[in-house]
Amino acid sequence: MVHPSIETLCELLDGGPAAGAGEHIAACPDCQGEMERLRNLRAELRELPPLDPPAGQWEQIEARLPIAQARGGRLSWSRPVALRAAAVAAVFVIGLGLGRLILPGASENGTSQPVAGLVVADQPPPASLADAMADVRRLGSEYDLALRNLERAAEQQGATVPTLSQQRLASLEALVEASRTALAADPTDPTLNSYLFAAIEERDAMMRQLTAAQGTSSDVLWR
Amino acid sequence: MVELSEANLVRRARSGELEAMRQLYELHASRVYTVVRRLAGDDDLAADLAQDAWCNAFQKIKDFRGEAAFGTWVHRIAVNTALTQLRQRSRRRDLEQTFDGSSMLGNPDRWPASAAAERVTVQRALDELPDGYRSVLWLHDVEGYTHEEIGVRLGIAVGTSKSQLSKARARLRVLVTKSRAEVVDHGTS
Repeated sequence: MVHPSIETLCELLDGGPAAGAGEHIAACPDCQGEMERLRNLRAELRELPPLDPPAGQWEQIEARLPIAQARGGRLSWSRPVALRAAAVAAVFVIGLGLGRLILPGASENGTSQPVAGLVVADQPPPASLADAMADVRRLGSEYDLALRNLERAAEQQGATVPTLSQQRLASLEALVEASRTALAADPTDPTLNSYLFAAIEERDAMMRQLTAAQGTSSDVLWR
Repeated sequence: MVELSEANLVRRARSGELEAMRQLYELHASRVYTVVRRLAGDDDLAADLAQDAWCNAFQKIKDFRGEAAFGTWVHRIAVNTALTQLRQRSRRRDLEQTFDGSSMLGNPDRWPASAAAERVTVQRALDELPDGYRSVLWLHDVEGYTHEEIGVRLGIAVGTSKSQLSKARARLRVLVTKSRAEVVDHGTS
């Protein structure tokens, strides 16, 4: 007796045509047993339990996501929104710089300050984009700390930060954030990088002015 | 409510919110890992494939239109990611032998003696199959892919897919039967 091939049995298992093997299988206990074993094996495959991923997998995935690499977990906007924000930021920075050129005595401490350029001119350029982003994160952290210290110092002395300065600082911080957000969408864009450095430079210049105006806490703010 | 909250998570993830991505990962991590682990046949490779699948998913999430459930969508990405990389791996290792069934990888005679004495589960036997056999078997018998779909994804003819499935089932049955018989022998001796 010639038994059907494994291919034929598999066809039958999947509901395919018997190709003349039906009668044989109906009369052959061996083939019936083979069909049953194949059927059970398929059922066992389908009943294999779900598996848990290795511990710490999310952290590894997160580290590979461009948004996390670029922004350290900050929230992101969609690219069109971010680009519009960055464009607004650039216009604002340029406008602010021009304004200070036209009205050099308008700073809070009454002294003229150099206009911040659109690139960081007094520091060597970073060797790579990663270095640049590290600088950005470091400066951002220093700024956040400085702002908290300034607020704390103002509260302790019963003083108030000038309203114009608050508005400028808030605007500049928004520019920095907008530029960072835009860079998260496209970290290699040279224009966006210029926007970000310009915003940070301008913001830092504003902080230095405020520190001088406070006259008390520069060592606290910038150590 | 589950659907609504998941849709909300997807919307937030599309806008780049990491916390929403993490929650989506938590919801579907097991499903993704399970399918890539079954296809890979190896823990370390599966971990890499799962990472790649999730990274691919989050990079493409702006393309997710919500026409299918997110879990279905990310599952499909996981399958495609795994199959693509397994095929590339096969090319690197010149695994034509694997795909024509003559590889010795699945030969229980080559298993370490101690391993042969273990209780070999269906999972272990599945892991021992050549990559090509395992892929076709899993996709067809568990994932429900047709031979036409498998042919497209693996770059093989429909007839080859059918042939691979038959050989995979036969090989799996031999592996499981033999290992269980050895367990009985060891258990009664």
